[in-house]
Amino acid sequence: MKREPIDQFAAKQSDERRTSVRLGSNACHEKRTQVLHEDYADVDLLRKLAGQIKQHTLEHLDSYLEKAEEKLRARGVKVHFALDAEAACQSVLDILQARGAKRLVKTKTMVSEEIELLPFLERHGVECFETDLGEFIVQLDADRPSHIVKPILHKNRREIARTFQQKGLGTYDDTPEVITRRAREFLRRKYLEADVGLSGANFVSAESGRLVLVTNEGNSRFCLAAPRCHIAVVGIEKLVPDDRSLSVFLNLLARSATGQRLSVYTEFICGARSADAPDGPEEMHVIFLDNGRTEVLGTEYREILRCLRCGACLNVCPVYRQASGHAYRSVYPGPVGAVLSPLLAGKRFLELADLPKASTLCGACAEVCPVDIPIPDLLVRLRNRGKQEGAPSGATPSLGGFAKLASMPIAWKAALGMGKLVDHMPRAVQPGPLRAWQGERDLPAWRGGAFRSWFRKRGKKA
Amino acid sequence: MTDARDEIFARIRAALKPLEARTTLPTFDASVAIARHAQAMPDLVAAFTQALEAVHGRAFRDPTALAAWLRTKEATLGYVDPEVLAALGPAFATELTLETSFSRARVDDYHFGITRAAGAIAESGTIILDDRSTPVRLAALAPWIHIAVVPRSRIHACIPDAISALGDDANIIWCTGPSKTADVEGILIEGVHGPGEQVALIVDG
Amino acid sequence: MSTCLCDAFFDDVARATVEVLEHLGCTVEFPERQTCCGQPAFNAGDWPAARTVLRHAVDVFAGEAPVVIPSASCAAMLSHGAQILFENEPDVVAIKQLGTRAWELTDFIVRGLGVTSWPGRFTGRVAFHRSCHSRGSGTGDAVSTLLRSLSGLEFVDFDEAEQCCGFGGTFSVAFASISTAMGTLKLDNLLAAKPDVIVSADMSCLLHLRGLAERQGRPLRALHVAQVLRDALASSEVGR
Repeated sequence: MKREPIDQFAAKQSDERRTSVRLGSNACHEKRTQVLHEDYADVDLLRKLAGQIKQHTLEHLDSYLEKAEEKLRARGVKVHFALDAEAACQSVLDILQARGAKRLVKTKTMVSEEIELLPFLERHGVECFETDLGEFIVQLDADRPSHIVKPILHKNRREIARTFQQKGLGTYDDTPEVITRRAREFLRRKYLEADVGLSGANFVSAESGRLVLVTNEGNSRFCLAAPRCHIAVVGIEKLVPDDRSLSVFLNLLARSATGQRLSVYTEFICGARSADAPDGPEEMHVIFLDNGRTEVLGTEYREILRCLRCGACLNVCPVYRQASGHAYRSVYPGPVGAVLSPLLAGKRFLELADLPKASTLCGACAEVCPVDIPIPDLLVRLRNRGKQEGAPSGATPSLGGFAKLASMPIAWKAALGMGKLVDHMPRAVQPGPLRAWQGERDLPAWRGGAFRSWFRKRGKKA
Repeated sequence: MTDARDEIFARIRAALKPLEARTTLPTFDASVAIARHAQAMPDLVAAFTQALEAVHGRAFRDPTALAAWLRTKEATLGYVDPEVLAALGPAFATELTLETSFSRARVDDYHFGITRAAGAIAESGTIILDDRSTPVRLAALAPWIHIAVVPRSRIHACIPDAISALGDDANIIWCTGPSKTADVEGILIEGVHGPGEQVALIVDG
Repeated sequence: MSTCLCDAFFDDVARATVEVLEHLGCTVEFPERQTCCGQPAFNAGDWPAARTVLRHAVDVFAGEAPVVIPSASCAAMLSHGAQILFENEPDVVAIKQLGTRAWELTDFIVRGLGVTSWPGRFTGRVAFHRSCHSRGSGTGDAVSTLLRSLSGLEFVDFDEAEQCCGFGGTFSVAFASISTAMGTLKLDNLLAAKPDVIVSADMSCLLHLRGLAERQGRPLRALHVAQVLRDALASSEVGR
């Protein structure tokens, strides 16, 4: 029986990789759970509050986006809008070209992966460097991140050391401190030489226009201190209504992502540097990106746009732990990716329609989501959509026959009687799903009809 | 460009139009997001110190002790914001070389940078920087050791307080401990692109 | 509702359910025309098929009596999944009405009937596998309450208890490698705690775990909570 690509990918994972992903995810999940319960009497209350604030914002997005734009423009920030990935990439390039800029450093932002910004810029002669350590290593390896917060969850120190050696960053040394120090020294030169610093944003406050950037390494600060121009590419769903709500989001975000109370750096940026400051960008641009988000906004899946990109759902997901991020064949893996990736794929929805099926609907993700997204409900809705649009069913058995049987009691009871035959059927001629089941599992003895006759007989006795 | 803007807003409005019942913005008390340990902090300086140390930062109240610590770290050359020289006292420069203007060309020469903090947060051990108080961004970022001079009156109790006090500076940074990463096998390493030592010197005022 | 799994494989669980309910003084009816709760088709995205099945269930279980089910996942389907499935359908009211009457067995005992302790003995180390579809419902607490009240029963903890066993309906065959890996990990964690028996409120999980354990040559005694309660009753009636 043909297997879904995700299952095939998972089956081919080395034990070492599977174990790194599983243990790394579990460790983050445990830290998250511990710190949240230590700090708050009612974690669910906070998650629901954050979820409601986000939902409200999404349902009034036009007015909040407009407010943010106004505030930013009043601070001298140049605000742009990009309909899709190509438009966003072109916007960035236009800004670079207007400044004669050839060198760019960037912080970690999933949106830049989504629009495939770096390959585009590099094709146009811009030298680009990822500065988040994990993303830098991914870049050196021409690899892809496998987690939205911990991009190299799937790599070990030996693989990293080999990469560094191959790329001329020193002789082989797999000590984490040495790896980090080498990246620090290498990238420091790049910050100081760069013309443009590019970032995303975790939040945009409509009240003040502030972009909030949440990081740990200091790379984001450097991208905004050394180069003379700052470009932020931000999905329109990052809006929050006001500064006050940030206290709820900031308290949930780092705890949900890594178990930290706050990330090391939380930056609130709403303009370029003042004229007399020696450091920092003299010019700031914000590019608000659609790229499929408005389409999602118009559907019953809009709750997924609340996502804070914390990764808590990935960390707890038993399927993610077995399959790892690359199995999801898209920028956003794990439970959030299983909903968001097929939706953002627009016309190519069917190519990713198997992602929502890679789940037992266990609900662990919904329990940890800091903005209370009902991910399992969204997954099951997407399965319905996939079926209606004729998505290939892959290895999922068709249940039309079962459903017919289940609406015809006489046929059902007959099947209960006939099922005994399965016990005697050689596996090769059994119906597909039964055969697949028994690839790895035994089936119990068939007992169809046994309960019913017991119940009937005792009824007669009375 | 304006076409893209108009198009996006049109799409948003079209997407939301069929929605009959809209979620209202919930009201909530700021205290709902304040961590348990921060609900009662009679001594903000002590609470701030404890929280800063919990994230592997260091707090000093005595410039002499700070200078001695710098010497044990063999951190002898540093940038100092001239406005804090008075708070450091004349003895600070003993066996240390202090420069009052930051040279970008010699960015890696500085072992430490001493700048003014705009404030701090006791709940989280956070040091608040902004362009007004730290106009030389690199001075607080590039050297391995960053020392922020924190006036005790500007220590906010909790995160909601600090948010209300954000003000209009275009670049506000909350620093909560030294820079770090756990990207390599989940192992915590301190001192990545930013400082490996985050210090607060708490002064009167 | 006996559930399709009990109908096919686990008649003793359905029997135990009836006996437990009768012990509590309930009159138990078993409408013979019942089949399935519609969950497999719903989860597989075949919603028209799922609706057909559920409409049949609404017809079979018409009335006001509580519908008690030895399965947290079937109960969740009737009360939660069904709402989504029928949200735009003309007969949504009838569906919702059935949903309000649908109870997982132990939730019915504890929250429905207010019974929080169970007579009799059940000797042994019990590892309770809390099925995922009981998340957010009263079942987990109900099972825990009832089992902990049994004398002789020792609850054992095991690692990663909150992680799914990997059954997931059609997932078990459509993503067989991942399903097996998840189930094997669950077995490793369960067996490391050296339980005498694994207990759950869902036979779907036990079907998968027992099936894997047997194929892997690792002995595993698994019981549905209804069977534990019934066996405990039998021990308390030994004097009769």
